[in-house]
Amino acid sequence: MKQKAPLIDALLGLIAMAGLIALYAPLVAVAALSFFQILRVRGVMGFAPFSLEPYVALIANGEILAALATSLIVAVVASLASLVLALMFAFYFVSARRGFGLMMQVMVFLPFLLPPIITGLSLLIAFREIEFSRGLATIIVGHIVFIVPVVYRTVLVRLQLLGGSLTEASLDLGASQAQTLIHVILPQMRPALISGVLLAFAISFDETLITLFVAGSETTLPIRLWAMMRVGFVPEINALATLILVFTAVITVAIGLLQRSPAGHAS
Amino acid sequence: MRVQPLLHLENISKRYGSVRVLDGIDITVADNEFLTILGPSGSGKTTILRIIGGFEGIDGGRLMFEGRDLASVPINRRPFNTVFQDYALFHHMNVAENVGYGLKVRGRPKAEIAAKVADVLETVGLGALGARYPAQLSGGQRQRVALARAIICEPRLILLDEPLSALDVELRAQMQRFLKSLQRRLGIAFVFITHDQEEAIALSDRIIVVHRGRIEQEGAPEQLYRRPRTPFTAAFLGENNLIPGTLTSAEGAVCQVETAAGRLQATVDGPVPSPGSPVLLAVRPEHITLTANPAPGALLAEVAEIRFLGANILIELRHPALPDTLLKVRRLADGGTTGLRIGQSLAIGWAAADAALLAAS
Repeated sequence: MKQKAPLIDALLGLIAMAGLIALYAPLVAVAALSFFQILRVRGVMGFAPFSLEPYVALIANGEILAALATSLIVAVVASLASLVLALMFAFYFVSARRGFGLMMQVMVFLPFLLPPIITGLSLLIAFREIEFSRGLATIIVGHIVFIVPVVYRTVLVRLQLLGGSLTEASLDLGASQAQTLIHVILPQMRPALISGVLLAFAISFDETLITLFVAGSETTLPIRLWAMMRVGFVPEINALATLILVFTAVITVAIGLLQRSPAGHAS
Repeated sequence: MRVQPLLHLENISKRYGSVRVLDGIDITVADNEFLTILGPSGSGKTTILRIIGGFEGIDGGRLMFEGRDLASVPINRRPFNTVFQDYALFHHMNVAENVGYGLKVRGRPKAEIAAKVADVLETVGLGALGARYPAQLSGGQRQRVALARAIICEPRLILLDEPLSALDVELRAQMQRFLKSLQRRLGIAFVFITHDQEEAIALSDRIIVVHRGRIEQEGAPEQLYRRPRTPFTAAFLGENNLIPGTLTSAEGAVCQVETAAGRLQATVDGPVPSPGSPVLLAVRPEHITLTANPAPGALLAEVAEIRFLGANILIELRHPALPDTLLKVRRLADGGTTGLRIGQSLAIGWAAADAALLAAS
């Protein structure tokens, strides 16, 4: 029933295109530059031929590898811990009385909505006050505070969709609460659990601002990248940025695919 | 009835906040019985079922199973199973896994589960569908899976929460026959919830009519149909013509009622109200006789509408003294009433035994 307005359509298309280019051109440039380095020969700019040299240098860089390892450990531990916490919060929310549930809703969400710099600063002060030395553990705690809301949201939506009658049916058939959780609730929530963890993983892997405050001697990959930029630009940075880009894109696509079939089966 | 019923709800009351949803509910369920709790939506019938199943607590009264108080028995320890209105099948399990779930959580050996699942699936007529997932089944098939899942643990009682309401008319009739025959074969008590009075009459050994959280009346379907005791039962179970009046005298069960249309006769079931009290006279449309040549003193009414309904003809008549009441009369379509016309004056009557006397509320 839509009326044809070719001029407006074309204009909208153009604006969208410009937006996409503005968003993605720098990313493409970084990826391209990681393979084709810029050369300056006697003041004249030019491109070097295709090379994987920055990637090789990256792999040889022990500090970067150590930062990558830290990032992976933090992301895995933080996202799994967040999943457990988020599940507990969600179960509490669906069974709690309205007032308590609402209060918890706000409390879980606040750290995500607060400026990360405030969250980071508060955590830093708190850790100092209780004399908890900064390190891997404090980074993980910082990330959990920030990503629990995201996982909680994903998990809660699915849990509310499930409704109470499956739980009741399971109990009615003689199952205990634990059996109901293991055989009925968690399997039905599997897509939400996986996409929640992936989302948490992606956010944790990229998190910079809070980490800046709570990190000790171990640094994560984004912090390392930040530090490298301050010292001076090296080609490895392009390679590293490209790798992170690809990695995040893969996770995003995976989440998208999971959310397209929310129940696993049509229900 | 046995001295000790299988299940006894004693004076149960239930509140949601300040709203009283059940009040003084007293129900017994006998072994092997097909008991239907019938009521309109919001009557509290589903709450009664959920209390038996253990999904809801009670605010007063007792729930006794074979003389044992069930108050402290949680859902998963009650010897009942439920067929839910939305079936509540586990969508990540196939049919066989759904049906075998009750045995699996009880830790029975795999071979025993497989054998019983095959057996029960055969019973409900789904023998070949064990490997299918619920999403691959029709509504009627899902219904049977829900039934199979409920009967596999051999409960003493099955609770059915409007299980046929999601099915289309034809499938519903088929499932009604199936449910009835299944209940006879298994020999376990069914407590069936419905708002559909025809369904209740067709299936039940006994019906309990619930209205606004109270029991209106209970009895065998025929008894309820022929001898409703309250205006609600009279109007909810099938069609009834209700004529208000005052009781003047009674001889045994046959009462004389003074109405705006004159003195009419009705039969009372149970205690006779005291003379002078307001009553309602209930006559089924199929029990009213029509005569074209009235005897002197007959009750005359004018034909207001004639509706052809296939097998039946419904004739609506108006009596000048009862301006608010259209009297409905039902006739078989081949019963020779085709000569009727609108505006015609006819004598109406009924046997005293066919008119029920109700206390007006």
